[in-house]
Amino acid sequence: MNLTLAYHPVRALRFGTPTRLDGTTLDIDTDDLRALLLEDEALADVAFEQVAPGEDCRAGPVFDIIEPRAKTAGDGPDFPGILGPPLTAGKGTTHVLSGMAVTVLDEHAAGGSRGSIGRVLEMTGPAAEGSCYSPLHHLVVVPRMAPGKDGATAQRAKRVAGLKTAVYLAQASTAHAPSESQTFNPVDPGPPGRQGLPRVAYVGQIFSRQRRAELDEPVLYGHNTTGMLPVLLHPDEWLDGAVVTSYYTSMGGAETYLYQNHPIITELYRRHHTGELNFVGTVASIAGSDNTDRDRNCRAAASLVKWALNADAAVLTKYGGGVPHADLAETARLLESEGIRTSVMVSDVSRDRRVESALLFNFPEVDAIVYGGGNDTRWEVRPAARVIAATPAIGELLAGARELGAMNVAGVTNQQGASRLRAVVY
Amino acid sequence: MRIVHYLNQFFGGIGGEEEANSPLQEADNAVGPGRLLEQTLGDGATVVRTLICGDNHAVENQEELVDAVVERVREADADLFVAGPCFDAGRYGMAAGALCSAVQTELGIPAVTAMHEENPGVDLYREGLYIVDSGRNAAKMKEVVQRMAGLARKLVAGDPIGLPREEGYLTRGLIRDQFVDKSSAERLVDMVLAKVQDRSFDTEMPVTSFEPVARPRGVDDLSQAKVMLITDGGLVPKGNPDNIEGMAATRWGAYDISGADDLAGEDYEISHGGYDPRFVQADPDRLVPLDALRQLEKEGAVGKIHGEFLSTSGLSNPLSNTRRLGREMAEKVKQEGVDAVILTST
Repeated sequence: MNLTLAYHPVRALRFGTPTRLDGTTLDIDTDDLRALLLEDEALADVAFEQVAPGEDCRAGPVFDIIEPRAKTAGDGPDFPGILGPPLTAGKGTTHVLSGMAVTVLDEHAAGGSRGSIGRVLEMTGPAAEGSCYSPLHHLVVVPRMAPGKDGATAQRAKRVAGLKTAVYLAQASTAHAPSESQTFNPVDPGPPGRQGLPRVAYVGQIFSRQRRAELDEPVLYGHNTTGMLPVLLHPDEWLDGAVVTSYYTSMGGAETYLYQNHPIITELYRRHHTGELNFVGTVASIAGSDNTDRDRNCRAAASLVKWALNADAAVLTKYGGGVPHADLAETARLLESEGIRTSVMVSDVSRDRRVESALLFNFPEVDAIVYGGGNDTRWEVRPAARVIAATPAIGELLAGARELGAMNVAGVTNQQGASRLRAVVY
Repeated sequence: MRIVHYLNQFFGGIGGEEEANSPLQEADNAVGPGRLLEQTLGDGATVVRTLICGDNHAVENQEELVDAVVERVREADADLFVAGPCFDAGRYGMAAGALCSAVQTELGIPAVTAMHEENPGVDLYREGLYIVDSGRNAAKMKEVVQRMAGLARKLVAGDPIGLPREEGYLTRGLIRDQFVDKSSAERLVDMVLAKVQDRSFDTEMPVTSFEPVARPRGVDDLSQAKVMLITDGGLVPKGNPDNIEGMAATRWGAYDISGADDLAGEDYEISHGGYDPRFVQADPDRLVPLDALRQLEKEGAVGKIHGEFLSTSGLSNPLSNTRRLGREMAEKVKQEGVDAVILTST
């Protein structure tokens, strides 16, 4: 396992023929790309829009955001299990178009707990300042479903269209020399001088069984996670397309882009390379559907951290709301009881803004808590000069001056560790 | 800045405990700590009125005192109300807390006070007020007044107030959002490294602890007992007649089961956004076990099942709300003469 990420910075998008990387300008042949995506019979049509950083533009609702990446031929499939066979990710060289993203829109207003507009891409103004996506160039993909293709079929079509677009674009770079590349040293505490460093693992939930996964919903190597127990992953597998976000991301947000650039994994790598710790590996886990499922999952995750990774410490994150919150805490409690020190990140669940309602657990040993904000931040945003949406009705909903909550802006709150919005106790 | 300042008889210069019954009196200038406050705030800050009351009089006549003080502050056209510092003087703290809270709410002007963390006024009023941490006694009067002045300036100007540690006030127990320099990933790794290396770290959320709930006495004879079923799993009759919200519910309902031996999925729905409801929808007895309980009733193991079950939705609900729901349900349980309750959750 030795992944090299070869970065090709993109500073402008241009619709033109053929698709190619011209310096830092990416030409995109939209007819060619459209033909590729329409191989999926669930799609009737697809529209493309390009958006630049700082542009007075709002797009939504966001289905997913993906960084364009493509593997060097022979180094394995892109998004294994979804676009190719489920072979191990994280090997060889993967080319990255940095500074840009593929943003796939939903064709319906979202509804649900985040309100009618779901999460939007906001490119300028105060709400954009808090988002990690506003500084990027975006190719916005607006899929239109064929008649009768809805529900899980439509979700799958959007997922695949986004990933295929990401790979297609990055393939324009694979013949170019990267401006920069990064190789992650294999996780190996063996070399002299590293023996005394704390062995740190990452335990990240990738799904919550509060919702039933669709049969063909790809999450881990194309698998929908049903029935799965926690599993060991090499950090490079996360970064290289083994995991994509579920269709359900409403609580706190998670985009595929932030698996590819996983903030916690990259931070643990950084500290590994600066000699502060030994990053010994990761566990992908699931929040349970009931107490038995919870016990089984939490214990299996804790056992892997202890017996397979032999860790001294672990960082834990959740995926979703209350059940994942409780499972996260239970896993941390089990680890602490084995002498493995933990820090956990939870998102704000205190609807009355009181500390007493902030946590869904009271384990004295689980006392290193990062508390993400979001419920208390909203912006009055101006009408957007340009709106991108799948239908005129959603476009109208998004266009005007309105209130946007932090959780309604993609990239402001995030359960993968990217957010700088914190809830503080006062 | 026009300030009205409240003092007890001791700091107001009237006398010690022997004057604790003295009624509200006033001066049109700064007195005692008020002079220090004026100096500290500097140009443009004037204590236009000082109100002084004995500690006993204040707590024994709190309602009248509050009304009188609010009126005086209104008349004075004040920009700021200050009480204390009260240090560990309990009666003084209780009065200062009540007065600050009333002035803030009724007149919409900021109020600042100072107390020792263990002053009983803190527990009652900390959430609504900025209470500067004063220590037990007047040893650090100057520092305390400086902190009060610093907070007062910001409050009057409408400037953002920093965290308790930065500004010197006692934690209010509230949460607010703030953008910070470090991402949560960086903070997580910082924290776990500190913890594993036995260095100190600051959790961003204190671990909550709750008073243990004492276990009540068991039911003496279940075969004579009236038993009620209560759930927070969101089971409601079709149509959700009480509009019980699926998240952060503010309501609960009581639903008739007097003629039923069994609950059928087609008669019910689930208003709860936090679990996979398919199994309960298919057979609601999985959540509200009427079928099994009815059997026990028939066998005589249970005296009588109450004719209604109570239901609400337990998801993302703040404690301030769930306490009320719980109290209301408990009242109903008492009224109905129920001896035992089976609570089911998800």
